[in-house]
Amino acid sequence: MAHLAVRDVHTFYGPSHVLHGASLEVETGSIAALLGRNGMGKTTLLRSIMGLTPAASGEIELAGTRIDHLQPFDIFDLGVGYVPQGRHVFPYLTVQENLRLGLRNKRKRDPEIFEKLFGYFPILAERRKQKAGTMSGGEQQQLAIARALAGEVKIMLLDEPTEGIQPSIVDEILELLVRINQADGLTILLVEQNMELGLSVARDFFVMEKGVVVEAGAVAGMDKERVINEYLVV
Amino acid sequence: MSTTQLILLQILNTGVTMGILMLVAIGLGIIYGLMDVINLAHSEFLMLGAYGWVIARLVGLDGWTGLIIAPVLVGLVGYVIERGLVQYLYRRPLDSLLATWGVSLILVQAARIVFGPAPQAVPTPLEGAVDLFGMPYGRYRLFVLAVSIVIISLTLAVFRYPTFGLKTRAVFQDAEMAKCLGIRAPRIYSTGFVIGAALAGLAGALVAPMLTVAPDMGANFLVQSFLVVIVGGAGSLVGVVGGAGVIGGIQGLISYFSSSVLAQVITLTLAIIVVRVRPRGIFTRK
Ligand SMILES: Nc1ncnc2c1ncn2[C@@H]1O[C@H](COP(=O)(O)OP(=O)(O)O)[C@@H](O)[C@H]1O
Ligand SMILES: [Mg+2]
Repeated sequence: MAHLAVRDVHTFYGPSHVLHGASLEVETGSIAALLGRNGMGKTTLLRSIMGLTPAASGEIELAGTRIDHLQPFDIFDLGVGYVPQGRHVFPYLTVQENLRLGLRNKRKRDPEIFEKLFGYFPILAERRKQKAGTMSGGEQQQLAIARALAGEVKIMLLDEPTEGIQPSIVDEILELLVRINQADGLTILLVEQNMELGLSVARDFFVMEKGVVVEAGAVAGMDKERVINEYLVV
Repeated sequence: MSTTQLILLQILNTGVTMGILMLVAIGLGIIYGLMDVINLAHSEFLMLGAYGWVIARLVGLDGWTGLIIAPVLVGLVGYVIERGLVQYLYRRPLDSLLATWGVSLILVQAARIVFGPAPQAVPTPLEGAVDLFGMPYGRYRLFVLAVSIVIISLTLAVFRYPTFGLKTRAVFQDAEMAKCLGIRAPRIYSTGFVIGAALAGLAGALVAPMLTVAPDMGANFLVQSFLVVIVGGAGSLVGVVGGAGVIGGIQGLISYFSSSVLAQVITLTLAIIVVRVRPRGIFTRK
């Protein structure tokens, strides 16, 4: 069954029409890569799913329930985790405070969840009292992912989590996502500009071009050369 | 009077000025910092609060009741204005400025109609003076100082309070991200607006017995509070409280040693310098 289904979504920023009928389906428990050159609407599509820039028309369904008229906080409550492009950690809050804000019940300090997250990202345990804004890009990225995981979400939207991060940490992050996907069945929609990276972890792929999803399918049967030449060469 | 007594007197008076200014400016700072709304009607919250005494007397209640009525009534008025108007103006500073200017005119006119245009005196609920190191000092002024300190500390505590404080700081720093983590930002805005309005109402009630109450009494406080927000920065409560300390201190000290006109000139100059060199305020990070 589709965990997330987007059908014919049109989205605007003020007068400018950015998504022109985008559609995609992410299977429950799968990892899907959303590819495409800069400016094609990948970030906007995630923003529309999260309710940050609501779709003007079309349908967005989460496990069969329409979410396209909900607010971001309601969508979070339904178990959707969001790791935005540029990470967006709260810069003047500590690592620990950032993580607490990711919890479903922010009143309850949940030692079990924290232990699990610190197990995934040992660096965050070391830095727990440090202000997030003072950490390196890679550390902030790990924090942004951990914060999303703190909400015990069922599906996670990640927007270019490897952008501007040193390769060793990129590998660690991707391996971890695969591990959580396999262990907990977390569904993942991963936006990647680096196609090789995206395809190395994904089962399915989508390619966006000018606000529309133009290619979709299983990575296994993908004609990489053609897709690269048609859509991904700058 | 000895020099020590004069200095003490000056410190106490400056403290009263700072306290009132902080109570008024906190709301303005929260509203601007959280929602980019420039609320020109904020001074009318103070004015309505000052009329709390008049209302208390009109309905036959004891003088002190005004002090309770003011923040409750003004908080309610604030809630109505936030739900009815301001919530549609988030992140639109210019529109909010125009719309709240309209609200301000309406509230001033309404006060004129209901209470009459003439300034009214409110009797001091605490008569007499206490002896401070051989110097008489008005009981009521001491009371105002104490209430300001308590209420400002309480407000800071509320915004530091584990969960509400953390959520508010998150919304301050990145409202979109906060929403994506399940935080009902609109509820935080509403609460912040109502708290700010209630504090201004309380400030109005506190100053009323020391001044006269009039429909247009808010204007002067509005200018001062904007200077506080400009100088301190709207990014945090600490900025607002620090800004009120700086502005209140300068005003108090200079108007004592020289004239209040010079005090105004110096505060304005300071504000202009701050805008040039630290556009986000002295106390704001970055
Ligand atoms: N806030 C905005 N206001 C107006 N246009 C925007 C805004 N954000 C993005 N766009 C435009 O929308 C298009 C898609 O952008 P985006 O979704 O960020 O693409 P991608 O993530 O694929 O790089 C681009 O043409 C971009 O210029
Ligand atoms: Mg993008």
